[in-house]
Amino acid sequence: MRRLLLALPVLALTAGAAFAQPKDTLVVDMPGDVATMDPHLQWDTESYTVYRNIFDNLVTRDVSGKIVPQVATAWKYTDDKTIVFDLRSDITFQDGSKLTPEDVAFSIRRIINPDFKSPQLSQFDQIASAEVTGPAQVTLKTKTTYPALMAQLVKLSIVPKAYVEKLGDQKFNQEPMGSGPYRLRAWQRGVQSTLDAVDTHWRGKPPFKTVTFRAVPDIPTRLADLRTGRADITYGLSPDDAEAMKAEKALQLLTVPTERIAYLFVNPTATATKDKRVRQAIAMAIDRESIISALQQGYAKPVNIVLTPANFGYIADIPGWPHDPAKARALIKAAGAEGATIKLITSPAYDRRLNEAVQQMLGDVGLKVEISMTDQPTFLKRRQGTPEEAESLSQGRWSCACQDADGVIFPLFRSGSIWSKMSNPAFDAEVDAARVTLDEAKRLSHYRKAFEILREEVPGVGLFQNVAIYLARKELKWTPTANEAFFVTDMKWQ
Amino acid sequence: MIRHLAGRLGQALVASFGVLTIVFFVMRLSGDPTLLLVPEGATAEQIAALRHALGFDRPLFVQYLSYLADLARLDLGESLVQRSGVAGIVAERIPYTVELAAGALVVALGIGIPAGVAMAVWRGGMVERLLAGFVLTGQSLPTFWSGILLILLFGVHLRWLPTSGADGLSSLVMPAIALGALTMSTFARMTRIAVLDELSRDYVSAARARGLSLGAAVARHVLRNAAIPVVTIAALEVGNLLAGAVIVETVFAWPGIGQLAIQSIAARDFLIVQTVVLFVSVVYIGMNLLADIAYAVIDPRIRLDR
Repeated sequence: MRRLLLALPVLALTAGAAFAQPKDTLVVDMPGDVATMDPHLQWDTESYTVYRNIFDNLVTRDVSGKIVPQVATAWKYTDDKTIVFDLRSDITFQDGSKLTPEDVAFSIRRIINPDFKSPQLSQFDQIASAEVTGPAQVTLKTKTTYPALMAQLVKLSIVPKAYVEKLGDQKFNQEPMGSGPYRLRAWQRGVQSTLDAVDTHWRGKPPFKTVTFRAVPDIPTRLADLRTGRADITYGLSPDDAEAMKAEKALQLLTVPTERIAYLFVNPTATATKDKRVRQAIAMAIDRESIISALQQGYAKPVNIVLTPANFGYIADIPGWPHDPAKARALIKAAGAEGATIKLITSPAYDRRLNEAVQQMLGDVGLKVEISMTDQPTFLKRRQGTPEEAESLSQGRWSCACQDADGVIFPLFRSGSIWSKMSNPAFDAEVDAARVTLDEAKRLSHYRKAFEILREEVPGVGLFQNVAIYLARKELKWTPTANEAFFVTDMKWQ
Repeated sequence: MIRHLAGRLGQALVASFGVLTIVFFVMRLSGDPTLLLVPEGATAEQIAALRHALGFDRPLFVQYLSYLADLARLDLGESLVQRSGVAGIVAERIPYTVELAAGALVVALGIGIPAGVAMAVWRGGMVERLLAGFVLTGQSLPTFWSGILLILLFGVHLRWLPTSGADGLSSLVMPAIALGALTMSTFARMTRIAVLDELSRDYVSAARARGLSLGAAVARHVLRNAAIPVVTIAALEVGNLLAGAVIVETVFAWPGIGQLAIQSIAARDFLIVQTVVLFVSVVYIGMNLLADIAYAVIDPRIRLDR
């Protein structure tokens, strides 16, 4: 112990030196460690945040959300199920080898191969084949007409075929190598991943020489890291944390409304909510404005439907249900549901206060809400189970990472989907039709009709558009995007 | 002696096997990790396909037998989430936890035993009252809170120590103190009782009568005799340190097996959880075995063969 005490002043000095770091590095505090470095395996936020900087994507989105070229320079549909991509031929992987159409076709075939067991398979399994059809060309065929294809391909990282085949899948996951602006220097599991800039990258010299992604699970610890300069940016904070950090002069909050929609599921086929009047009453009992101002501290945007404006298919002029407790109470009385007990199922993954707010608001109009909490896998099993298992209510935060209505209301409300407890043929026809045409105007008109049905039927209530909160050093310049992408090349010190 | 050890080792094996079996089934009680792995919009067929590919559609007992068969071949399996060997993943984290537990033990022994002796020797005085307050504080502060207080004081306010991470000795100081506090208090209390007990014996009066100072009597005779209960506690405390590491490692972003266990439980990465539990139970059982042997060394009157 005495030795430890003697060592303290020295340690203090070395710790102090870390604060005055030269600004060609970036340190990111993440709530967890990377699960896999192989971009075709896990896609949890942390893995995604790190490996997307090591690889290039076939296409990407610009700050406004528009799909723009990256490895592909242009694309065109030759028929409803065939799309031809022209590719850049000046891209090299980090080992100096050229990125070829073979690598692109290989990357697609790899992720859609069922034997590879990719958890991302369901995002790409509408792709039937990928063939090299020219010296700088790849042709994809989809199983059906599939308008969400481009949105899905935003998430496709291109991996080097020869390198992956040489190393094998398991080793590639440990020592990933791509054509992105950063290469992995070291991955200390549970501690951090360190990335070095590829100075000769085809998109230009990256803004930081090294980037370190640290795993720091506890929020107060991440905040302390930011306050002492040990880290430059972090995420995964609650609105309350953000408010508490507003007073820190050296720090700034960066926020962006995302494509993530917070909604309240209302079961249309089982329990007291089977009666449409009860569901409509619930929609009118919820005070969304108070939820946004009091619980979210303003870090949220109001929505009128179960979709955000960041998604294709958002219909701005469908009126949301007004907040009208008196009318809600009358409707519940008319439905004979006054005093009825309904269950709200939930897990620790969801905001406890929001559950309690819903409980209170519905209590005010005559419904007794019982909150039933389980762990996340059990919650999912119930929520995705039979209508009886799903109970009356549950909150959700949905993001398809595709910014398209198809990825939201199709899985949530189309009959036959595990999330949907609704069976409405008119609604099914609209979302099915929107799925099989590439004509955007036609798709929008189908979604308008679909949302009109949802407004009447209320199988769910849109609560708010989620806002992503990042806490960063004041000198960091960056505009976060609606798809919560974390591309280091979009940031810089000023 | 040897027969006794063999018997204890046999018990240890049975205990570890029991722990393993319980963890295997309890982890699976509330479902498998498939639902956590797939994207939100996945269909029932896609989920079923992944479940089948991962082998979770087999009957529980078949999964258990196949796990035991792998274990018999010393194959701990591959992590579902990280897609790499479990043995390697856990082995990479063990040194961090050992380092942390050792640091905490240094804190606990280095402060706890002198404090306990002092409380016994200066019984009833100001010193005891002050130390008792200190010990009580160490015992009652929950680590998730004391950890954050330490970070705010030494990391944010004074800027003496790094706020998180594992780069060298400087980052070990705070987690070791946070983790060692409770054990320190236990040692201090146990030492105080043991020393008080010895101080009232005749041999101490005899030693004092021979002209030995109180300090010399304590140093030469009392401590040795007071060591037995303290050694027993030390063995059990190592187990408590491993349990406490789960929280301390999360607060300080210390990459040991505690943090790994928490993440793996949340992600239902069964094989990692099973391996961590297996490791901890083997350590716990091993430490108790060591304590048994240590008695015989410290006190020759204790014979292990009965």
